[in-house]
Amino acid sequence: MKARYIAAGCLAAALAVIASTASAQRVGEPRTGATKLRIWLQTDAQANWPKVVAAANAAVERKHPGVEVSVEYQTWGNHLTKFDAALAGGTAPDVIEMGNTETTKYMAAHVFQPLKAKKYPNSRTWLRGLRDSCRFKGKLYCVPYYAGARAVIYRKDLYKKAKIKHKPKSLKEFTAAGKKLMKKYGGDADFSALYFPGKYWYASMSFVYDYGGRIAVLKHGKWRGTLGKPKAVRALKKLKSVVRSLSRASRTTDEATPQQALVFAKGKVGSFIGNGWEWPYALDPKVGNPGLAGKIGAYPMPSHIKGRYMPTFLGGSDLAIPAPSRHKPLAAEWIRAFTSTKSERKLAKVGKVIPNTTKLANINRSNPQLAPFAKAAKYSWFVPTSPNWVNVESANVLQNMLVTIFTGRSSVKQAAKHASSQITQILNAG
Amino acid sequence: MSERFPAVPAPAAELLPPRPRRRFRADRIAGRLVPYGLVVPAAAVICAVLGYPLYLLGKLSLEKYDLEQVLTRKGVWVGAANYTKVLGDSEFWHVVGRTLIFTTVNVSLTMVLGTLIALLLAALGRFMRLLLTTGLVLVWAMPVVVSVNIWLWMVDYEFGVANWTLSHLGLGSFRHHDWFVNPWSGWGVITAVVVWGALPFVAITIYAGLTQVPEELVEAAAIDGAGGWRVFRDITFPILKPIFIILTSLSIIWDFQVFNQVWLMRDQRPTSDYYLMSVYSFVESFKISHYGLGSAIALIMVATMLVVSFVYVRQMVKLGEVR
Amino acid sequence: MTAGTPVAPAPSAPAATRRRVRLTAGRRKHGRRVLINVVGLLVFAVMVFPVYWMVSTAFKHGQDILAYKPEWIPLDATLANFSDAIHRAYFWDAVKNSLIIVSSVVGLSLVLAFLAALALAKFRFYGLKAFIVIIIVVQMVPLNALIIPLYISFSGVHLTNTLLGVIVTYMTFVLPFAVWTLRGFLHGVPKELEEAAMVDGSTRFGAFARILLPLVGPGLVATAIFAFIQAWNEFIIAYVFLSDPHRQTLGVWLAYFTTQRGTDWGPLMAGATLTALPVVIFFLLVHRRIAFGLTAGAVRG
Repeated sequence: MKARYIAAGCLAAALAVIASTASAQRVGEPRTGATKLRIWLQTDAQANWPKVVAAANAAVERKHPGVEVSVEYQTWGNHLTKFDAALAGGTAPDVIEMGNTETTKYMAAHVFQPLKAKKYPNSRTWLRGLRDSCRFKGKLYCVPYYAGARAVIYRKDLYKKAKIKHKPKSLKEFTAAGKKLMKKYGGDADFSALYFPGKYWYASMSFVYDYGGRIAVLKHGKWRGTLGKPKAVRALKKLKSVVRSLSRASRTTDEATPQQALVFAKGKVGSFIGNGWEWPYALDPKVGNPGLAGKIGAYPMPSHIKGRYMPTFLGGSDLAIPAPSRHKPLAAEWIRAFTSTKSERKLAKVGKVIPNTTKLANINRSNPQLAPFAKAAKYSWFVPTSPNWVNVESANVLQNMLVTIFTGRSSVKQAAKHASSQITQILNAG
Repeated sequence: MSERFPAVPAPAAELLPPRPRRRFRADRIAGRLVPYGLVVPAAAVICAVLGYPLYLLGKLSLEKYDLEQVLTRKGVWVGAANYTKVLGDSEFWHVVGRTLIFTTVNVSLTMVLGTLIALLLAALGRFMRLLLTTGLVLVWAMPVVVSVNIWLWMVDYEFGVANWTLSHLGLGSFRHHDWFVNPWSGWGVITAVVVWGALPFVAITIYAGLTQVPEELVEAAAIDGAGGWRVFRDITFPILKPIFIILTSLSIIWDFQVFNQVWLMRDQRPTSDYYLMSVYSFVESFKISHYGLGSAIALIMVATMLVVSFVYVRQMVKLGEVR
Repeated sequence: MTAGTPVAPAPSAPAATRRRVRLTAGRRKHGRRVLINVVGLLVFAVMVFPVYWMVSTAFKHGQDILAYKPEWIPLDATLANFSDAIHRAYFWDAVKNSLIIVSSVVGLSLVLAFLAALALAKFRFYGLKAFIVIIIVVQMVPLNALIIPLYISFSGVHLTNTLLGVIVTYMTFVLPFAVWTLRGFLHGVPKELEEAAMVDGSTRFGAFARILLPLVGPGLVATAIFAFIQAWNEFIIAYVFLSDPHRQTLGVWLAYFTTQRGTDWGPLMAGATLTALPVVIFFLLVHRRIAFGLTAGAVRG
């Protein structure tokens, strides 16, 4: 008897739950009959430039009164999982932000709608590094959003005390300056003249490209890993000696764990290779050390050839329209509003990033905090544009190679050759 | 042991004949349907939610389902090709071995330590017991993401509490000691995190079971001169046997599938010596976008788990028959 | 082992013996008591340390979080991190959604699981074995492999981006375990209790409800806490299923503290501490039921 009551009760409860949530909105269903435009941006936009996003939304909504723009923020760790599920389930968004190393795989699978460059602002002056990440087999599949370049961020006061007279203009000078720092401050076991974590492959590969090496080349339709070649090996050997003598950072973690700008803010680091936003981050009153204001400077990492800069990895994001979207013209309009000159200018200023067009390069030039990064961005390298590149990153090939080199588990040549063959295999798979 | 207690198999339950008053046949039929009525709601939810996805999972494992197929939402039939590829990969067998060892170590540690903590809880005074239980619940309540990050911090190369404490305890210099360079040490940390997170549930559940052990029995045995271990072995354990069996099999199933801790402790980019089967499946599916292969690996995992936990599963099914 | 009926009160002769034994063992017992308490405290300290670290970090200033020398007690405590966390977008929405999901999952799962466990523990029927095997095997399927199939399936019935979809999915993960545990506790109930109740003149169901329910209290509590925590802290299903930021749960909300630039540790720890509170409160409300033993009332008379 009582069990029957219980059963009836639970059925009632279930019905209540169903009733209450069935009235909730469904995906794609807009409020009060309006059209809903769904945008997937990363949490960086939410945390660092929400007003720029709001402005673009308002612009579209103003022009199209029946449209509701809904921005859904995603996390870098899982956004592709969610995207794949949405594609499989037919609920893909109308615009999606992709990291520039993630795009090739999706472009090759025709996931994105081909676009016409001339319809988007400043397409003729887009940063080459970003534009290349949006091009596949001659067609354009996404719009550059913003970029980041790396330069050396250093402690001016420590340099002065170690009697380093001017900013190093070559790798040789850089190493010498670093050794001076280590001589003066290296007695503290925590001190690094150059804080360089072992898995920092963005900065490590810069050495390879500086010496004329490459990660892989495409020949006759087939990719070949080239890290085992003499130029690359020479670069890696030089990198190993620099890191060994100047860095006390962990050999097995990357630059974000712990966040290297914050380690720098603790005061026991002479310099590190970081993005433009890492400089103000080190001074952040909430997490950094505002007391270092005025003591920090930056300069592009010098090449082994005097007077040149080492190529920097051009990281960044692009905006794409998934092919299944049902609101493509609106999506395109939103992208135009969000990447307009005005919007990009604001974005660069507030977010401390590099805008997607060289037309705005001068706004950074006049800002001593951003100028070195804009300068560094002129000489950049990018990953092999193969659809399988993401798999190389997933398999940690480069990080493994670096850890093996820095911990001395195998010789530089061996590690490089092994990584090279792995890259060849992965890039040519399937 | 008294024959009245469930440690000794009791005769199978039969539906008792209705009371000897006016009874209609309808009532008897309705009585026979009672167990089905009880089971149907739960079974319905499980089938409704998992029925089609499980079918899809099986179908995916027999298809090539890469990004192109995700977009067109149609897979390409390849039969058993995924399975032969996986089973023929020597790397895969290393991963299987590693998963088996990992599971064994974790389950053993969890069950032993969990039982000890449960016994401790039973022996503590009321205040201390509440304190320790609340502490356990706090541990249990931490989201995995947060707890893993705290542990990562504790063993951090630069700022970790572990290194600082060990150095200051005079156990040698642990300054800049990297816990993940050596896979053994890295797995030790991961095991610690997993066991630490699994203990509260096991300890609290066993403790709940302990409260059902009649005090008189324990006291009587103590008077007879039985020591703690004998009391446990002869009185407590037999009563709690069903719970132990259940907890052990659940632990095997859960520890076999551990993913989050490994994934997050290696910064979402584990190297191959940190692969477990769950990680391998995830990487194939979501990182390399070979959903067909990933599904095949997952189903091989299920099969492996069935084989590994077969003994326990059979015991659990038997628990149902013999009543 | 005595041969007497465990349910009868202890006979007088052994009682006298017991009293004598107690007096002489008094001092030894006291020392033993102290030792046990110390061990209990140690275990508490070791287990809770990471939780303590999370909470103390929540109170630290941002600059003090990464420190070469660990700061054990934040002497310069601040509430800034908590304020930051609460004021982040969608915090209260996330709290509301999480509460709805969790209460539905815990309530419905307990009821359904109890009914099913009753059937498994007390009856014999065709399909019993099949059901048992199904619920064991269902737990063996890795969740990650089911993400896409689940999403495709739910998308077909328009239940993605709804709380209901998430609720039934969580229930599916909680039910097998809940049925198992409750069945285990039901097995632990001696048959003569049921028989005694039946002699009282009640039907089988009456006996079940009145006798068994309180006795499996501990099992229900353990299961309820398990269901609560599973539903409260789950991330990947909630993240993939729920697109609308207004619908998201606390588990997803916590993930937003991480951007490409790293993680905001102070506010994240504060958010995590806040997230852990409801679980602890729930536990404190139900913990007494865990200790509800066989000896409490049902046996006497």
